[in-house]
Amino acid sequence: MPLHDVGYRSWRGRRRGPWSAAVAIATTGIRLAWTSRWLRRAVFFAWSPALFFAASFFAFEQAIDEGRIASLQERAVRGSNLDGIGLLGTILADTLGKSDAANPHLTREAEVAATRRLVWSRLLLAFMRAPQAVLLAIVVGLVAPTLISRDLRAKAWLVYFTRPLGGIHYIVGKIVVLSTVVAAVTVLPALALWFAGVLVSPSGWVITETWDLPLKIVAGSVALAIPTVLLALAYSSLTAESRIATFAWFATWAACWIAHSSLATADFVAAMDAHAAAVADGAEADEDGWRPPPRRVNWVARAAGIDTTIDRWSWLSPYHAVGVIQAWIFGVETRPQAVLPPAIALVTVSLASILVLAWRVAAPLRA
Amino acid sequence: MPVQLRGVVKRYGRRTVLDCVTCEVPPGITGLVGPNGAGKSTLVRAILGLVRLAAGEVRVFGRDPARDARAVRQLVGVVPEDECAVPGLAAVEMVRYAARLSGLPGTEALRRAHEVLDWCDAGQERYRPVETLSVGVRQKVAFAAAIVHDPRMVILDEPTNGLDPIERRAMLGRLTTLAHDHGKTVFVSTHVLPDVQSICDRVIVLAAGRVRLEGRLDDLTRPVAPLLRLEVAGSVDACVTRLAAAGIHAVGIDAATLHLPAQDADGLDRVWQAAREAGVVVRALTPVQERFEDVFLQAIAEPREAAHAAP
Repeated sequence: MPLHDVGYRSWRGRRRGPWSAAVAIATTGIRLAWTSRWLRRAVFFAWSPALFFAASFFAFEQAIDEGRIASLQERAVRGSNLDGIGLLGTILADTLGKSDAANPHLTREAEVAATRRLVWSRLLLAFMRAPQAVLLAIVVGLVAPTLISRDLRAKAWLVYFTRPLGGIHYIVGKIVVLSTVVAAVTVLPALALWFAGVLVSPSGWVITETWDLPLKIVAGSVALAIPTVLLALAYSSLTAESRIATFAWFATWAACWIAHSSLATADFVAAMDAHAAAVADGAEADEDGWRPPPRRVNWVARAAGIDTTIDRWSWLSPYHAVGVIQAWIFGVETRPQAVLPPAIALVTVSLASILVLAWRVAAPLRA
Repeated sequence: MPVQLRGVVKRYGRRTVLDCVTCEVPPGITGLVGPNGAGKSTLVRAILGLVRLAAGEVRVFGRDPARDARAVRQLVGVVPEDECAVPGLAAVEMVRYAARLSGLPGTEALRRAHEVLDWCDAGQERYRPVETLSVGVRQKVAFAAAIVHDPRMVILDEPTNGLDPIERRAMLGRLTTLAHDHGKTVFVSTHVLPDVQSICDRVIVLAAGRVRLEGRLDDLTRPVAPLLRLEVAGSVDACVTRLAAAGIHAVGIDAATLHLPAQDADGLDRVWQAAREAGVVVRALTPVQERFEDVFLQAIAEPREAAHAAP
C-alpha cells in the first residue's frame, strides 16, 4: 500500500462541459498516433519537398534582386522553357511568356510585385498539390484507419458512451486528431515555405504584397483536409479491422487516380487526333482558341496550374478534384465549368462520409 | 430513489428481452441476478439510456436517461462486463482519460486517477499498457475508471470476473465501503451468488426478461417457519434427547449442528438448560437463513415449470 494512500475520497470540483471530452479525445489520440514510428518518419519526410521549393523561391528572388527578371521574360517570350532553373523556369516561362512582347517596365516595382504574387502562388500551389497531397494520402492512411476501428475492436465505445459525451463530441475529437496530422503535413510546411520566401526576398515589405497567401494556404489545406479526413474516418468506422480500412483508403485513392488518368488520357488522345485531322484538312486548329495540350507538361508543373485545359474527369479522383479546388482558392483556376464538378463531388463525398460516421458511431446507442 | 423502472419493455426484433420490468434500486447495494440471457445487460443499458425501449419508463435520480443521457451518465459510473480499454494507454493514463471524458480538468484528473488506483491497490502495474495487464488488474483499472469522477451510483457487470479469492474479497470490500461509508448506490449484475449474499442489501432476480423476485436479502432468505441453528461441542444425540424432554423438537443436522424451532425467552432458557444437562458446550445459536442459491433456483424454476405445464 502506498504511503500516501488516503482511501476513497469524494470529489467536489467543478466539471467541464462535454467539449472538454472532445479535447481529451483529440489530445490523447494525437499522442497515441505520434507513438507510431512510421508516422514520425512520414511527417519528417513530408517536410523535405519544402527545401526543394525553397530553392525555387530563392532563385526567383535572386533574379529580381539582380534585375534579371526582364531578361527571363524575353527568353520566355522567345519560347525558351528556362529549363536551366528547373520548376521555377517552367512556371516563369508560363507566367512571363504570355505577354505579347517583353515588358520593358517589368523591373518597375508594381510589375515585379504582380509577377511575384503569381509566381509565389503557383509555387505554393504546386507544393501543396504535387508532393504534399500525395504524402497526405500516405500519412492519413497510417493514422486514420486505427482511429475508430481500434475502438470498435477493443470495445472501447463503452469507455466513451457511458460518459457524459455525445457522438458529435467523439467524432469531432477524432477529426481533430487527423486534422492535426494533416496540418503538420500541409499547412505548416507551406506556411514555412511562404515565410522562407519572405526571408529570401529583397525586402520585408513583401509580406504586405503577399499577405493573403498564408490565408489561401490555410483555405487550401482545409479544402484538402475536409473530404479526405471524413472519408478516411468513415472507412475506419465501418470495420473493426484497421487493415481493411487501410486497404480501402489506399485502394480508393489509387483506383480513382487510375480511372482519372485513363479517361483523361483517352480525352487527350482523341483531342490530338482531332487536331491532327483538322490540320490535315487545312483548317486552322486554333481559330476557335483551342490549342492541343502541351505534351511535355510535367506532373509538378501541371499541378501548378500551367496546363489550362479543363480536366473534365477531375471529379472522379479525390486528388485531382481537391487540386482543382485548391487552384481556385489560389486564383489560378477561375472557370466555373472546371471548378463546379469537383466541388460537387467533394461535397457529396464529405456529406456521405458524415452520414456514415454518424450512423456508425450512433449504432451502439441505436440498439 | 436512485433508479426506478416502470413497465420497461425491450425487444430485439421479435424477441422480447425485457418484458414489463418494474423494479427499484434504492441506496445501498443491490444485486441483479439471473441466468444467462435473462436480460441483465440489457437492463443495465436501459438504465444508461443505451437502448431504445419499446415501452415503459426509466428514471435515474429522477431523470430520464433516454432524454437526458449526459446528465445521467455524469451521475453514474459503469464497469462493463466486456473488457474495454483504449490500447496503447498505460493504466493510469486510461483512468485519467476516463476522468477527463467525465469533465475533470487535466491535472485534477491525473491526481484523482492516482488516488483511486491507490485505493484499488493497483501498485506499479498502473504504468503498464492496459492491453498487457492481467485480467484481474484490468478489472481493477476498469473499476477505478468507473469511480474516478466520483459518481453517485456505480453499476458493475460481473465485477469479480477473473479475480483470485483475495482480490475478490478486496473488491467486494471496496463496494461495501462505497455504499456504506460514502453513500453511493451500488448496482451489481452477477452470476456469482455468494458475492450477492455477502454484500447485497437487496436483490432483483431476473429470468426470461421478467422480475421473478425482488426484495431485501434478509427477507428473501428468511424461512417460512423460523428456525434456530444450534452449534455444539459434544453429543448432538444427547442434546436432541434432552431438548425433546424439555418439549422442544430438535433435528440433528450433522455431528455438531442441530435445528430447532424459534423460541421465546422462556424457550431459550430451556434450550440452555437442556444443553447443560446433555453435557455439551454451546458454540453458537443463530437464526437459520435459507441459502440464497436455493431461493434463486426456486425463483427462476417455478415459472419455467408452470410454463412447461401450460398446454
